[in-house]
Amino acid sequence: MSAADNKLVFERIVRPHFDRLFRLAWRLAGSKADAEDLFQELLIRAYDLLDDLVSIDQPGPWLCRVMYNLFVDERRRFARQRMHTVEEGCLAGEGLAGLPGPDDPDYDSQRIETLQRLDRALDQLSDEHRLVVLLHDTEGYKLTEIQDLTGLPVGTIKSRLHRARARLRDILTADGTIS
Amino acid sequence: MQNDDMNEQDQDDPQIRALLKDYPMPQADAGFYDQAFARATLISSRRQWLMAGFGSAVAAGLAVWLIGAQFMTVPNIPDVDSTIPGVTVVLEEPRTVNLVFSSATPLDSATLTVSLPDGIELAGFPGQREISWETSLKEGRNLLPLKLIALTPVGGELLARLEHDNRNRVFRLRVDVS
Repeated sequence: MSAADNKLVFERIVRPHFDRLFRLAWRLAGSKADAEDLFQELLIRAYDLLDDLVSIDQPGPWLCRVMYNLFVDERRRFARQRMHTVEEGCLAGEGLAGLPGPDDPDYDSQRIETLQRLDRALDQLSDEHRLVVLLHDTEGYKLTEIQDLTGLPVGTIKSRLHRARARLRDILTADGTIS
Repeated sequence: MQNDDMNEQDQDDPQIRALLKDYPMPQADAGFYDQAFARATLISSRRQWLMAGFGSAVAAGLAVWLIGAQFMTVPNIPDVDSTIPGVTVVLEEPRTVNLVFSSATPLDSATLTVSLPDGIELAGFPGQREISWETSLKEGRNLLPLKLIALTPVGGELLARLEHDNRNRVFRLRVDVS
């Protein structure tokens, strides 16, 4: 195939999964800047592996696994240890930037505040607990999908899920967000 | 996507689960996917081209060395280093750049050294290429606002070195000037 054909084939396979992969990258890396890096690394790696990719029945889970492995392999680079930059005023709740602002008729100050507190509480979890709880409870991954992604036994995932929720409850109870 | 593994996990703390379900899903910036796709295919193609060129060079041996100066040039493809975060500042216009250090544990008495590229200054430190100070990091995200001023249109790489307990880590930030 020509280079142009390769690009077309590659795009047809990977583009339908972009949103899910980007969200996974963000959940893994914990920030937008690192998510963009991780997403980019994945595309470079996947394009290198195009010959393998075209023969895979379900490229979505395969791409997620490649991304997870990239993250684990380069954890020191991606695992929330890097310096990144944010615009002034955007530090808390970086992922909340898309919510309605005060000028929006759908603006709900109480909901925004609750989500900002949740964001800060999530930031206090370990990477392992935060990832599991976000994938399962926010992104809607099944336990078996998290198992396929991480290679962890379902029992371990359940345990982390339970502990993560308990820790969140402790933090959010202490700051008065929930009773 | 709906979660359909109905088991004991779904009985666990419905209040927390409801909050998490409402937690927003991150979205990529408009155009990011297209840029990332273009970069990926460009970088990969360039890498393959260089590998092919190297293979040809080895196969052709001495002949390649002789004609190398004329023909062994790399196509004019812009370098893309997607691994370094970057900011763009306007020439002679101060801009506050917030650096965020995420720390798994509190760090007392850490030393932070910022090294600036030529032509970029830190407001309040005219002419200084390297500024160092002692600081403490709390667990979680730590914000360091730096007011940068570009005096030339060149830009470069800002380095922030964090040292603690005989260990250090260097962070890089690309500073472009428009």
